[in-house]
Amino acid sequence: MKFSIVVYAAPYSAEAAATAFNFTRSVLEQGHDIYRLFFFGDGVHNASRLSVVAQDENNLQQQWDQLIRDHGLDSVICVSSAVNRGIVDAQEAGRHELGAVSAYASSELAGLGQLIDATMNSDRVINFG
Amino acid sequence: MASKNTNKAITFISRRAPYGDSNAQLCLEMALACAVFGQTVSYVFLDDGVYQLLKHQDARGIDSKTLGKALETLELYGIENICVDADSLSERGIQGSDLVLEVEPVSRTHIAELIHQADSVFNL
Amino acid sequence: MTCLHTISKSPTSKLLSSCASVLKPGDGILFIEDGVYYCSLAESGRHPGADVRLFALKEDAAARGLSVHSAADVELVDYAGFVELCCEYEKIVSWF
Repeated sequence: MKFSIVVYAAPYSAEAAATAFNFTRSVLEQGHDIYRLFFFGDGVHNASRLSVVAQDENNLQQQWDQLIRDHGLDSVICVSSAVNRGIVDAQEAGRHELGAVSAYASSELAGLGQLIDATMNSDRVINFG
Repeated sequence: MASKNTNKAITFISRRAPYGDSNAQLCLEMALACAVFGQTVSYVFLDDGVYQLLKHQDARGIDSKTLGKALETLELYGIENICVDADSLSERGIQGSDLVLEVEPVSRTHIAELIHQADSVFNL
Repeated sequence: MTCLHTISKSPTSKLLSSCASVLKPGDGILFIEDGVYYCSLAESGRHPGADVRLFALKEDAAARGLSVHSAADVELVDYAGFVELCCEYEKIVSWF
């Protein structure tokens, strides 16, 4: 079965970000497909590569990045939510002369069209907020 | 975009008051995008979401965009199936004449129907 | 189409009453995150009626020290079970 997963929650602020991660991992473990991850609203913080955590704490952003790369997942950060929250890729950082890239390269900044495409092409869409 | 040419029925349930958090705004943005991509959209205001429909909103003083005005774009984008939960209105003492849009007050049974006939539901 | 509803806030949110008012026979409800506190209420405080199955996410219940085993009307599922439920029901409606 093909799943798309929409995440509205920021890591550490809301359990929902971790729930979404555990769910995604479980979907893959059971041999299902992920059509797309879509990070929206505060969910864009899940793609920040600038987080540092205490030694006894999980770095959820790093875990997402690892999972996305290990499984070659299609992962999209909503560009309109991302840019005003300081989550920028190299292109946006260059365009606005920000001097730093804050988004993991494993996710792509794109528009809401990618979410609509995901709803059109997935068997199940599940939201975590 | 690798999309097949499929049309899906997508129901949005907007349940949050405007301004306090961004859910109302996000819900609207998603629905407009769906309409642009030719999907069949139903838009439901439920619980505190009915506060989005109040007339006389002016959010300039809190440096926000006035959501009540933005809701008019639902119709401009061709979304015709817009409804509001009648119970949520009456629980909050809101009359039909208090609303910015001509929306149809509907029962929970009707909303249940919109949820069940949809291919996907976004509820925020 | 049958729906799996996930509820992720505690009973103070009244999410279950909103959810219950739009259920259809054959739907299911899965309590996750703070939604698992619904399992600590008396059965009448959470049961939306016949023909609706109730589930709770084991990991969230355990984290909060809740013994869902004492709630006979709620089935415990782990993440694998969560995924299975998503396949079993035809769509998922998240209440958060």
